[in-house]
Amino acid sequence: MQLNFEHKTAGHCENGVVRNLLKYYEVDLSEPMILGLGSGLFFSHMPFYKMHGMPITSFRPLPGAIFSSVTRRLRVKIKRYKFSNPDKAMAKLDEILFREIPVGLLVGVYNLPYFPKEYRFHFNAHNICVIGKEGDEYIVSDPVVIQKCRLSSADLKTVRYAQGTYPPRGRMYHISSIKRLRPVDEQMVRKAILKTCNRMLHIPLPMFGVKGIAYLATRMRNWVAMYGERGAALNLAQVIRMLEEIGTGGAGFRFMYAAFLQEAGEFLGKPALRDLSLELTAIGDLWRDFSYHAARFFKKREGEVASYDQVADKLMKISQREKEVFTRLEKIMKSE
Amino acid sequence: MKIKEVPQDGAILESTEVRDVCYALDEDGTYKEVLSVGWSPKNEAIQFAWSAINEESAKIRQEVMEGKLSPLAYHLSRLVMTPRILADYTGFSTRKIKKFCRPELFAGLNHEVLEKLAGALNISVEQLRSID
Repeated sequence: MQLNFEHKTAGHCENGVVRNLLKYYEVDLSEPMILGLGSGLFFSHMPFYKMHGMPITSFRPLPGAIFSSVTRRLRVKIKRYKFSNPDKAMAKLDEILFREIPVGLLVGVYNLPYFPKEYRFHFNAHNICVIGKEGDEYIVSDPVVIQKCRLSSADLKTVRYAQGTYPPRGRMYHISSIKRLRPVDEQMVRKAILKTCNRMLHIPLPMFGVKGIAYLATRMRNWVAMYGERGAALNLAQVIRMLEEIGTGGAGFRFMYAAFLQEAGEFLGKPALRDLSLELTAIGDLWRDFSYHAARFFKKREGEVASYDQVADKLMKISQREKEVFTRLEKIMKSE
Repeated sequence: MKIKEVPQDGAILESTEVRDVCYALDEDGTYKEVLSVGWSPKNEAIQFAWSAINEESAKIRQEVMEGKLSPLAYHLSRLVMTPRILADYTGFSTRKIKKFCRPELFAGLNHEVLEKLAGALNISVEQLRSID
């Protein structure tokens, strides 16, 4: 059996699964709108949290946060599960699927067969949607893959029980009711934008929001002293991967959020948002410029010299520009 | 970023069905989704991370040949596994997995244990025993 489920690609897996699930229940939203309503743009650099021995830099809130905010705002009811027994996890999945309900799953990518091997690290917060089963094979809609794919039940079980940081433990979820659904309204969009502004501007700690970008810049200047040439370059590579590797729509969600501001501007009848969208696009281009220059540290191009101060300066500028954009955005949203 | 500026630098994704969705401006200044097969700085960052892993594995492989470590240590490194994560997959303790990385203890492991380890690493027992 296979559900009549429209598979559509998305920049980010979580946005994509939410959008495709909602679409199944005839709630049609764009990926940027999901990102915007879910307040999915952020920045944090946390030297004390490490993955593969390197500080974590992130351009979005914690995994699952976008999903929770969007469904809460739309008043869509969600049912979530977690299982200690893998066989029960598979049985429950079948039971729900055969009630013609598409099911979102949290999986690890380390053993995901259709992923390129270069991407297969122990990352355990990937989202996919199971939309059918034929014999022993599940039909899966993974938003970062062009076509629907197939996974054997053994493979699916393995990725649902991936190990490492934050193991998924068979986590799954589905929409249980849309009876109280509220269509997107002005207030909802406004609140979501204000939440993003608040996170980017007002968290009183140096690691988060626009301050966090400056914090990363400051730390970066000492990386060579702290980690040596090679270690510094590895840290920089890690930042670039978080900015660009699958799921951000380019430049750490900046372009996707700019697309949202454009859509929101039209929806709210506020042309000023279109200008801010353009400004955020320019900032996205600065992030890309940063990545391009940063890449010199691990792929030497001829006749180029690079210093960490140089790329750190670029980040300081980005921090300043983002501060301006979100301050203006906050002002517009708070007026009237 | 404009649509015509969306990079299409294939190096990692083009042999798979995985793609990056980029958001870029069309000629009227409206955002559109565009599929991309990758971007050089990102590809280089990923390849650089792998080159560091590969160098580390080569070093460990050398130590295996010198009889200082067991082949398991090499496979752990090569497959970006850690003793801790392999312990979680197999049910052995982390300490045990670390012990198995010592050649004299690895040599004494029975087939059942080897099969469990190889299974969790997704390789065959023969591969686990060798460093090819």
